[in-house]
Amino acid sequence: MSSKMQSSSSIAQARRTVRQLRIEASIERIKISKASSDLMRYCGEHAKNDPLLMGVPASENPFKDKKPCTVL
Amino acid sequence: MASEKAEIDALKKECDGLRTQIEAARKAVNDGSMTGASGGVASVGRVQLKLRKTLKGHLAKIYAMHWATDSKQMVSASQDGKLLVWDTHTGNKLVAVPLKSAWVMSVAFAPSGNLVASGGLDNICTVYNIKAASPKTLRELDAHTGYLSCCRFLSDSEILTASGDTTCCLWDLETGKQKVVFTNHIGDCMSLALSPDMNTFISGACDSLAKLWDVRDGTCKQTFSGHTSDINAIAFFHSGNAIITGSDDCACKMYDLRSDQEVINYQDTSLNAGVTSLALSSSGRLIFAGYDDFNCHIWDSLKGEKVGVLSGHDNRVSCTGVPEDGLGVCTGSWDSFLKLWN
Repeated sequence: MSSKMQSSSSIAQARRTVRQLRIEASIERIKISKASSDLMRYCGEHAKNDPLLMGVPASENPFKDKKPCTVL
Repeated sequence: MASEKAEIDALKKECDGLRTQIEAARKAVNDGSMTGASGGVASVGRVQLKLRKTLKGHLAKIYAMHWATDSKQMVSASQDGKLLVWDTHTGNKLVAVPLKSAWVMSVAFAPSGNLVASGGLDNICTVYNIKAASPKTLRELDAHTGYLSCCRFLSDSEILTASGDTTCCLWDLETGKQKVVFTNHIGDCMSLALSPDMNTFISGACDSLAKLWDVRDGTCKQTFSGHTSDINAIAFFHSGNAIITGSDDCACKMYDLRSDQEVINYQDTSLNAGVTSLALSSSGRLIFAGYDDFNCHIWDSLKGEKVGVLSGHDNRVSCTGVPEDGLGVCTGSWDSFLKLWN
């Protein structure tokens, strides 16, 4: 690659980087305190429906191996 | 030449300025830590899940698994050259798909349950119809110039792939052609996850960065840094407002999308193994992270504390997944077994 081509691809690369950084710089950001409270609220609202937190009753556990019952 | 150098210098100066601006904007919203905020939240205590089933059938290392949306079927991929579709309630194998290339790294179930996809060192994402009498190859998506590390269906007609060629791609399954190519990473892409609303997706790569992309227009909207090594695993928090990453630097991190920065680091000095995979419980409170130390460690996502461990594999845990109904967690390992816990 001639040095002229190398420098034009460097310029192209630099322009792409600037374009990308402009996009990332332009977003609106919210305070971490608000983000945290929203995450905590989401977990709190869904906790009682989370089987791995609440436990799965044996009768409703689809993965539990069902042992045959013998009537004595 | 001189004018080109002047332009490059001006562009570099603008880059530096923009980076400083981004850091300042992040700092400006950093008004407290997540661990500080969650101090008042009740602890989950010790999470002790039981091993319910061990699925035996693969003859070599398992590299990937993915739950079907019915929360019952699950597909696993092994370098024995097979995909196996399991009924996890009975433990039975439903379908075996022989692969052209045994070097598989990723597998995905379509939301409809009709299709599965896989790919790996062959650089190709192959899509199979598993509802046919015997599994039939529907499409071979061949355009990546590096290995296929991850694939995820949006529907029966679109699939996203992540590749060692540093790009991700959205494919049209009707034509077999690339619709959008996502370029911005400077290292192999290792993992991707679709947002709950399917308008965006996140990717993790060997450049230690996570990126958020617009599925339709291909733009990278946000970049998250902080890890010091390859990101191997990535997942969306179910609200769609945060993402979790797992890395070879032995840490997991949560980044909030709206604050545009890391909000918690999940790390323990006793844990000196890379993170290979991760999955969240249905409320998002628990993170199941698979590590190279043969275990899947459980983290409290809000408090950043280790709250449990799933031990039982005899080799690296390579993949982890929680089904949509949240009723259990599946771990897959290089020991060739899949285990179901709840």
